[in-house]
Amino acid sequence: MNTLLAAQWTLLVGAAACLLPMRNAWRAALGLLSQAGATLLVLSVALPVVLGGPPLQGELAWAEPVGLLKVRLDALGAFFLVWSLPMTLLGSVYAVGYLRRHFATERHVGVHYALLNMTALSFVIVYSADHALVFLLGWEIAALAAWLLVIWDYANQKVRFAGFNYLVSTHVGLIFLVAAFMILYTHSASWELGSFGKWLRAHPGTERNLVFLLLLTSFGLKSAFFPFHSWLPRAHAAAPAHVSALMSGVIHKAGLYALVRFVMLIGRPDEWMGWFLIGFSLLSAVIGALYTVGQRDLKRLLGYSSTENVGIAGLGLGVGCLGLAWGNSSLVVVGFAGGLLHVLNHAFFKCQLFYAAGSVYQAAHTVDMERLGGLSRLMPWTAASFLLGGVAISALPPLNGFTSEFVIYSGLFNGQAIGAWAQVALAVAAAGLAFVGAVSALSITRAFGVVFLGSPRDVSIEAPHEVSRWMLAPTLAHAAGVVVLGVAPVLGLTLVEGAARLALAGLPGADAAAAGAPLQALGETLSRIGALSGVLTAAIALMWWQRSRSGTAPAPRHVTWGCGYGTPNSRMQYTGSSFAWDFGRRFHGVLLMLRRQKAPEGYFPSDGYLITHCPDAVERRLFAVIQHGDESAAGLSRQLREDDPRVAFGAALVALVLIAGLVVLGTGALR
Amino acid sequence: MNAPLPPPLLAALTVLHVAITLLMPFLMIGLVNRSKAWWGGRKGPPLAQSLWDLLRLLRKRPVLSQVTTPLFRAGAWVVLGASLLAAQIAPLLGPFAPLQFAHDFVVFAYTLGLARLFLMLSAMDVGSSFEGMGTAREASFTAFVEPALFLLVGTALVGTGQTSLAGLIGQWHHSPAFVWLAAPAVGVLFVLLQAEAARVPVDDPATHLELTMVHEVMVLDHSGPELAAMQYAAAIKMTVYAGLIAALLNPFDLATQPAPAVLAALAIMAAVAVAVGCVESLTARLRMRHVPPYLALASLVAALGLGLAGWLAGAA
Repeated sequence: MNTLLAAQWTLLVGAAACLLPMRNAWRAALGLLSQAGATLLVLSVALPVVLGGPPLQGELAWAEPVGLLKVRLDALGAFFLVWSLPMTLLGSVYAVGYLRRHFATERHVGVHYALLNMTALSFVIVYSADHALVFLLGWEIAALAAWLLVIWDYANQKVRFAGFNYLVSTHVGLIFLVAAFMILYTHSASWELGSFGKWLRAHPGTERNLVFLLLLTSFGLKSAFFPFHSWLPRAHAAAPAHVSALMSGVIHKAGLYALVRFVMLIGRPDEWMGWFLIGFSLLSAVIGALYTVGQRDLKRLLGYSSTENVGIAGLGLGVGCLGLAWGNSSLVVVGFAGGLLHVLNHAFFKCQLFYAAGSVYQAAHTVDMERLGGLSRLMPWTAASFLLGGVAISALPPLNGFTSEFVIYSGLFNGQAIGAWAQVALAVAAAGLAFVGAVSALSITRAFGVVFLGSPRDVSIEAPHEVSRWMLAPTLAHAAGVVVLGVAPVLGLTLVEGAARLALAGLPGADAAAAGAPLQALGETLSRIGALSGVLTAAIALMWWQRSRSGTAPAPRHVTWGCGYGTPNSRMQYTGSSFAWDFGRRFHGVLLMLRRQKAPEGYFPSDGYLITHCPDAVERRLFAVIQHGDESAAGLSRQLREDDPRVAFGAALVALVLIAGLVVLGTGALR
Repeated sequence: MNAPLPPPLLAALTVLHVAITLLMPFLMIGLVNRSKAWWGGRKGPPLAQSLWDLLRLLRKRPVLSQVTTPLFRAGAWVVLGASLLAAQIAPLLGPFAPLQFAHDFVVFAYTLGLARLFLMLSAMDVGSSFEGMGTAREASFTAFVEPALFLLVGTALVGTGQTSLAGLIGQWHHSPAFVWLAAPAVGVLFVLLQAEAARVPVDDPATHLELTMVHEVMVLDHSGPELAAMQYAAAIKMTVYAGLIAALLNPFDLATQPAPAVLAALAIMAAVAVAVGCVESLTARLRMRHVPPYLALASLVAALGLGLAGWLAGAA
């Protein structure tokens, strides 16, 4: 408890200290140092909890109406803390390289570092709070810090718009969260999450269902589930790369944390909640994956893939909920462990991909796929890490994305579902997941193939070169995590094991022994997968080494076969848009692939162009609805003349009748 | 359901399985080409011709495109390695595979996915619009056909309660609902074979026009040992899917009658190869825009099969 407080103070003081020095390098150094210190402090208490130690508890007296501030760090919160803080630190290291060119300018980099510290602070608060108001405070710090981090390049109007869009969305989410908390507070008369849980467990029914839906909406907005994702592609495209990485990989995982936390508070959710979560998540995964196909902007693409991946993680959590509802301990373990493992894995590979995309932006000053090409020869390290992250995000062996999806599949094909129809529904969800996997492989092939392979498409971009070590080191650290968690997935399991046990506590009569068998089975499966991945890697390396050793003379080089055409140029390579066109147009109901073109005409055509664009359908519809509402309100106010006394009297009459009706109904005078 | 196999038989079957996955691909290609030649009134190449072609390619020195990276050559070996690994998970002879564990079908599908990803990336590495086009087609066809395998596995799971691919496919015929589901299952597997191994009507391995190719255009710039690895991997994939059909339909019990079971499996695989050859001789490749509906149809049939299985299980 004291260590946690010390970490919070370190972060706060560090944030303030960042603002003071005169030179940007000192400001950044202070930020990094304070964050590193706080990370060590937090790890020293969170790691023992994750590895099976007792939960950390403490309380702090505070004035009314807040009351006793309770802090409780159990295995679930500690699991999120042990990777959130180190990853934020890595992001801050990356920021040194990314913002390097601003260091010598008038720009105050200290503010940025202070905000990164505040982000880390929000994790410590949210993941250890046992008090609803403290939870909301941490939630809000995260939202505001993320907004301010996004608008780093605030001089650009598009960036400001993206930031504002995010700010509005996250506060709409807050409204739902506050509404749910208000309902819970009125029933439990306490701000403690524990007493929320007591009421939730004891009172299944309409109100609990309502609370569940409110919470799911709020957390869905936070984690960018479909259809609450419309802020996400803009924010990720506008923010600096490390901010996008932290938002997508780390900050928005708080939504999933809160979801798991409240499911655990409910204890035994109803069966429909599990099915609802599975359906909702599958929809997110499928639509998110489809949207990655159409994007031209590398960072927008990665943003949509966040929607896809929270969907995949949510699928695992949904399976866990079903397990709780059916009282099946192995489903609970597989579902929650799989979902949380995917959260961890996604944090690893998504940050890595965003860092690689940021390196591309630093080197080439654009992330528009259609202008790039052939970067892997100029930026080999960046290309290698993008490829590694890409294989992981497509959930392919031998990397970490595969291990968590495997666990989720094993939950979906568990064979212990209640009734044949439930099994059929889970198999359909698994088929959806398979579709998502194939689509994300398509997008990654497209992104990596167009940006890093082939030859440069736009001669106006001067030859990019590899980025600085400040940026490469965090990228490679994430890459190492991706490989290690892929070959030794048991390591990941030890981190989520405690959280899975916590979920099991919701089952009646469950004890440590009941958790042992399914956890052990899962561990065996994962070590088998790890071994298989190792064998596959070794076999491929051996074959390749054998081939490259045997051919001593370098292979002769020749131009790419152009089917007999003698003068191909690099603009004739297949583009990202053409890659997506054939697939995307089959989903034109969901995916808006817009194109404007002027085809060359006649025997001696003068010019021609083709502009492709894939806007967000939800956002378009949202703005259309807002505009429509705006117009009808304006039309109504035009018709009503405010100086007309009849309108005023009429309105007053309606108001009086309404108030009288409410009073009569509320006091029960009619009964 | 079945007693575990005795260790000597297990060892023998493992050796046999590995040998079949290594050698059967050549015979499969030979049989396809022979049956195509028979329909065309020709004599056709020797059955082992593709083996001699492979050995010839292995001795050749490759020519690389000027824009390629090391990924280009490495990709071919990833494709081959992953396909060989997947082949060890698939049951060919009955309810048996050398690598067999719970939910191994996920590893099977995703290892093949890894192979496909590197096939596509190697193709993108040469920066040719033709290969880009082939890659885009391969990627989108896969997305339409990928759910079919998982729906099929789900159908078998409802019937058998098994969780390994070998158990699911090899023991499905014990389930009472199998009579109804066998035909759609074989159909779905056959379409999966056509898509994975790039055969007519999804793709035409013998076409001469780059614009109409899918798999062949992706290996257009490969030569020498890397081309050999790619072609071998494609043949292995065809063998694996033919083997799944064989394991599904095998009437003999592997534990009690190993010899007839193995012979029956080989005969069914050969029959599948002949069927592939006959389809190729009698039909043309579908128009490109009709291929995704054809593949989606397989997924739809699998989904209907799953619904039927659920209904039958619910009724029973």
